[in-house]
Amino acid sequence: CTYIMTYIIVSLQCKGNLCVNSVIGNIRKIDGGSGPVRFRLMMSDGLHTMSSFMLSTQLNYLAEQNEVAPNCVCLVKRSVTNVLKDGRPVVIILDMEVVKPADQVGGKIGDPTPYVEGQSKAPQPAAPAPSAARPLQPQNGGPMNRGPSRDFGKKPMSAPNTPSGTSKVVPIASLNPYQSKWTVRARVTNKSAIRTWSNSRGDGKLFSMEIVDESGEIRVTGFNQEVDKFYSLIEQGKVYYISKGSLKIANKQFTSLKNDYEMTLNGDSSIIPCDDSQDVPMVQCDFVFIADLEARDKDAIVDVIGVCKSVEDVTRITTKNSREVSKRNIQLMDMSGKTIQVTMWGKEAETFDGTGQPILAIKGARLSDFGGRSLSTLYSSTLMINPDMPEAYKLRGWYDKEGHALDGQSMTEMRGGGGSGPTNWKTLADVKNEHLGHGDKADYFTCVGTIVYMRKENCLYQACSSKDCNKKVVDQQNGMYRCEKCDKEFPDFKYRLMLSANIADFSDNQWVTCFQDSAETLLGQKADYIGQLKDSNEAAFDEIFQHANFNTFVFRNRVKLETYNDESRIKVTVVEAKPVDHKEYSKRLIMNIRKTAAQ
Amino acid sequence: MTGVFESPKSRINAAMVSQFVNKPVCFVGRVEKVHPTGKSFTLSDGEGKTISVELNEPLDEELSGIVEVVGMVSNKGTVMATTYSMFRDEKGIQFDLDLYNEALKVLQDFPQHYPFGSSSG
Repeated sequence: CTYIMTYIIVSLQCKGNLCVNSVIGNIRKIDGGSGPVRFRLMMSDGLHTMSSFMLSTQLNYLAEQNEVAPNCVCLVKRSVTNVLKDGRPVVIILDMEVVKPADQVGGKIGDPTPYVEGQSKAPQPAAPAPSAARPLQPQNGGPMNRGPSRDFGKKPMSAPNTPSGTSKVVPIASLNPYQSKWTVRARVTNKSAIRTWSNSRGDGKLFSMEIVDESGEIRVTGFNQEVDKFYSLIEQGKVYYISKGSLKIANKQFTSLKNDYEMTLNGDSSIIPCDDSQDVPMVQCDFVFIADLEARDKDAIVDVIGVCKSVEDVTRITTKNSREVSKRNIQLMDMSGKTIQVTMWGKEAETFDGTGQPILAIKGARLSDFGGRSLSTLYSSTLMINPDMPEAYKLRGWYDKEGHALDGQSMTEMRGGGGSGPTNWKTLADVKNEHLGHGDKADYFTCVGTIVYMRKENCLYQACSSKDCNKKVVDQQNGMYRCEKCDKEFPDFKYRLMLSANIADFSDNQWVTCFQDSAETLLGQKADYIGQLKDSNEAAFDEIFQHANFNTFVFRNRVKLETYNDESRIKVTVVEAKPVDHKEYSKRLIMNIRKTAAQ
Repeated sequence: MTGVFESPKSRINAAMVSQFVNKPVCFVGRVEKVHPTGKSFTLSDGEGKTISVELNEPLDEELSGIVEVVGMVSNKGTVMATTYSMFRDEKGIQFDLDLYNEALKVLQDFPQHYPFGSSSG
């Protein structure tokens, strides 16, 4: 062997970032029960062997693909040493390169003997003062000094001193459930709001955060007391020393973080702010092109970055467990030239400002197959508007120069007529002939229709005047209006629309129901103004309806067979009514003609 | 010239003009040049090809933008206009000549479905 091996096993245990030449003696696969498979290696530096080397899981492929085999020569680029409860050291290898495959080595190099603590002399480490927790104290002088402990390559992770009394700083990538004495120095990239739960087993609260360092990232969750203790201390974007959390296998359903483990804070955990934070990276993202989302599995958690091409208004919806929540859809486009609909929820939906078509990076959005492909933010997602990262600047430049002119084919079925996505276009005759709405779930279709009749009668109702409550009120006949939902009486009400209209295309006609927004679009006036006219000026009220007749719109409708008193009827509700974009409509008709002719 | 209004008119582009000599046509194009006499002007179609239009009376207004002309195709291949009208931008949306040209091709390719042309066409 032409390699000059440095005798470094001893020093490995002192420093986190040595570069080493070593030979693998023996590889053992350890099945970690429910956890990921881990590989344990016996390594030799030609003088000594030591069997307590573990590959970090991201290096498992080296063993799985037999790149690391007995007797191969490896360059250990980055490692960290942990001490088990019984005092035995374990070296976790974070980065390693095979410099000479086993078949080119020709057997064991030298005649190494098992390393026993205290028998050898290690070179004096340059970096931090050894703490008492470390059982393998390097000793001065001795023959080992000829093997220099070279510290080239990566800058040391452990350079900053830990707060007094805590264990040494280790990279996040080296954390595992088998050791407990560690401190990580990491930046909080996402901090959730506090969530509460209440079930048969009691009440509780929790928060979670994502932390990142040079080596990787991990999700951290705190419950109850830990919420009280740490929540107010943590600021997103700041760096902290965190120690003594419990590690367990990560639930990949809820996180996109590239870590097999996640951390739970416990009574022994400590979190201490770190002021010297410059070398700790900001958020780590692994952006996927929007065009490539087609190939990803439903429910995958992905990071995307794109230009916010358009923003819909915020709406309020009621979830299955009758919680009201704000929701907003935006269209995101990236350099793949494709767009996708992103739905955000809650406070983020309410406060999002899409003016000036900002760059939006989302870490940890969930991919849905709703409407083809769409994205939804999660409780754990991080949204960054115009983030300070190279991808954002590149995208901005691209969009301003050429991207803005692109039509941007959408991965999501667009609502209404303007979209170029696969909208479910139907004629009104198709809807009947194809029995839309007869299945278990409601069907949606889009059509171009002309209003041929609207029912003026009962098109308005008196609704609760409190914000976000649209419940019909009961006139108490004493100037007060009672809302059953709010359980309150109000001196006023607001008018809301519920309009029955008959729409027609060349093939058929159809009764549809329009609620507030779509009814206002059809009538061209706001509900409160229409209500005012109804009470004060019937001629003007009638004129609004006259005026709106025979106008043509693109309707997106929901259709479902509904049964009342054993009588089944098709009910069509307008989800959205939009003016016809004649250019788009003509293009589509021409395309359909050409398609039909080619058949 | 009588009969242009009553008879069916084919919508054509510049490339089709030669097939419609002595037939009533309808032509939509962008105004390129107006002759100083005001008695003729040129229109370009969605393919960028131009035709010239001749009027009986000189123009009494400034002509620009998109114009639709109804008239007969002369032996010279010009359109003898019976009438014309200017298309104004509607709500800021410009008339799309390219798209109109695509529609013309559909009319030409499927005359059985679009029997608007003169009976011999």
